[in-house]
Amino acid sequence: MSDQHHAPLATAHHEEERTPTTPERKVGFLPIETNWFDRLFISVVIWIALSLFWFRFLEPAGLSIWIANAIALVVAFIIIRKG
Amino acid sequence: MQSKRLGWILLAPTLVILFFFGVLPFIYVVYVSFHQWNPFAVNPEMVFNGADNFRQIVFDPAFLNSIGVTVMFVFFAVLSELILGYVLAQAFMRDFPGKAIFRTIHTLPLIMAPIIVGSVWKLMTTPSIGIIPKFLDEWFGITMNIGTSAPAAFATVVIMDIWHWTPLVTLTLIAALVSLPPDPFEQAQIDGANKRQIFWHITLPMIAPAVVATVFIRLMDALRTVDEVWMLTGGGPGSATRFVGVHIFKEVFPKTNYGYGSTISVIVLYLTIVVCWLLYVTMLAPRSKKD
Repeated sequence: MSDQHHAPLATAHHEEERTPTTPERKVGFLPIETNWFDRLFISVVIWIALSLFWFRFLEPAGLSIWIANAIALVVAFIIIRKG
Repeated sequence: MQSKRLGWILLAPTLVILFFFGVLPFIYVVYVSFHQWNPFAVNPEMVFNGADNFRQIVFDPAFLNSIGVTVMFVFFAVLSELILGYVLAQAFMRDFPGKAIFRTIHTLPLIMAPIIVGSVWKLMTTPSIGIIPKFLDEWFGITMNIGTSAPAAFATVVIMDIWHWTPLVTLTLIAALVSLPPDPFEQAQIDGANKRQIFWHITLPMIAPAVVATVFIRLMDALRTVDEVWMLTGGGPGSATRFVGVHIFKEVFPKTNYGYGSTISVIVLYLTIVVCWLLYVTMLAPRSKKD
């Protein structure tokens, strides 16, 4: 009798172990839930957009593209750590 | 642990194919985009030129114009296909005489190759022999010539795309509508909701994933449209239908400018990914809860 009572619990324990793990979701200053790859993706998107904007509007004024790369790197660091 | 290994084994063939036919060509295109390369020139070697192609692209009026034309085309075509596809899907959810035949005929454009679609529409819109200019002239007194009129050419390309791809939207939305449970609709009717409220508050939220997936597919297809347009208008008149795919084709093949063509391809891929990602974020992504 007691075995019958324990059987479902034992099964549930095994099922729990088999449950696939999902990537860690993080809540930061971004308005959506993200994992580290999402935040890396957002950083790359911003880096490319900033570089194209820099080429079009700021580089002709004499500002080197390396400044844009440095800004993008800082932004990427902040997004990946705190986004 | 064993099921995890089995999962990787089952995925392996797809991943290998994806790597060789998707990832490797992409890496190669990115590599070429940082070079000046004309393989048919006196010096066919690739010459590394840093980010010069990207510097050139943001000042290239032909490229910027092609982006503008493509965005307009995508907006009108995909929006029309979505609305028309939904209306047709709702129509196919009801019974009416000749439904099976109509559904088959309606799906036929999907099985036609884009180059054939372009050729057929070229025949139908050529002023001297085409059926469309003939009837427009006889019935409404309108002279239509897509070889000289930019708005006519653009509108024809949009209508051709709608004709070709609306059945795809209809089929995916039928699948989504069929799978909806009847209970929420019955409860809404009992609570006195009208058809508009049911559409906005029940139907649309429940089919949103299917709608977004369909928009993704159509958006990606429409952004790289080449063959239909190439057959119908060749990108003309002027640059009225010179979509970004046609622009890449003209840059790479007639001019054999492989480096710059690759740069345009990379930028178009970037824009496609960003647009699709924004669409996903605004419609489907889970919101973070900040208490």
